[in-house]
Amino acid sequence: MNLARSMSTCAKVFQRRCASLPYRFVLSASARLAGKLLHKYLALAILFFSGVAFAGSTPAPANAFLYIGWPNNDQVISAGKPFRVWFGLRNMGVAPKDVKFPNTGHHHLLIDTELPPLDQEIPSDKNHLHFGAGETETMVELSPGKHTLQLLMGDDRHIPHNPPVYSKKISITVK
Amino acid sequence: MLRAKFFFTLVMIVVGIAPAVAARTPSPENAETYIIWPPDGAVIHGGKFWVRMGLRNMGVCPKGINLPNVGHHHVLIDTDLPSMDEQIASDKNHLHFGAGETEARIELPPGKHTLQLLLGDHDHIPHDPPVYSKKISITVQ
Repeated sequence: MNLARSMSTCAKVFQRRCASLPYRFVLSASARLAGKLLHKYLALAILFFSGVAFAGSTPAPANAFLYIGWPNNDQVISAGKPFRVWFGLRNMGVAPKDVKFPNTGHHHLLIDTELPPLDQEIPSDKNHLHFGAGETETMVELSPGKHTLQLLMGDDRHIPHNPPVYSKKISITVK
Repeated sequence: MLRAKFFFTLVMIVVGIAPAVAARTPSPENAETYIIWPPDGAVIHGGKFWVRMGLRNMGVCPKGINLPNVGHHHVLIDTDLPSMDEQIASDKNHLHFGAGETEARIELPPGKHTLQLLLGDHDHIPHDPPVYSKKISITVQ
């Protein structure tokens, strides 16, 4: 009983003190800090548990379907000349880079490589070809031997969608 | 001198207006659109099928966005090419794919049908020169 009374007195004193300017400042500063920390941890927790860290922020239709129309898996292609790769996309549209339009993206052809991190800009090099002008097919020439091909959609900023839209990885032989 | 310049500008504006009405979005000279699937003469069972739209040397872009060397697909069904300096009609014979689609699920009644692709610019007007595919015939059973 005594403890409760003293606690309530304490609280009253604290309230009174907080009402004076310097205390109010300290309180709001610490509240802001606490808020910041909470925000940070909350964001981290959300990133950790919802899988947001493994995809970009642009939504893609759940039924979007990306596939390589040609060549087929295990296709044997004659060496020394370029061959055509068809980009197949269903339930989603194509838009050039930098164009923000719902349910669209642009194609990236991954050659002899695994999927890159799905929450970052897709690299642009000889293993990651960008089709930022809205192309839906391309000509590729590869050295003799085994190769893999895979398509990955990127949003207006070249970042994969959420959920990411990528094709089956196929193997071809050039000889 | 200033008056001459003003007059020249005025003339240019007046002269410029006439072609501006007809001026269409240019397309790359080697641009080519074609129907990947179905092939010409295909017989389709069931009436529902995917049309796969092919485009070479040019890009796909949704409607309303004015960028060079892009356009969006239109599938013409059982009809001839429309007027090339007007907006492509939007009806059951002229399907618009203004969201940048490159494939479409289409259902047609049994019988003979024709399919043809025609690219439209940001404003649904064919390019200059127009980019259209060969017209193919299919039979739905």
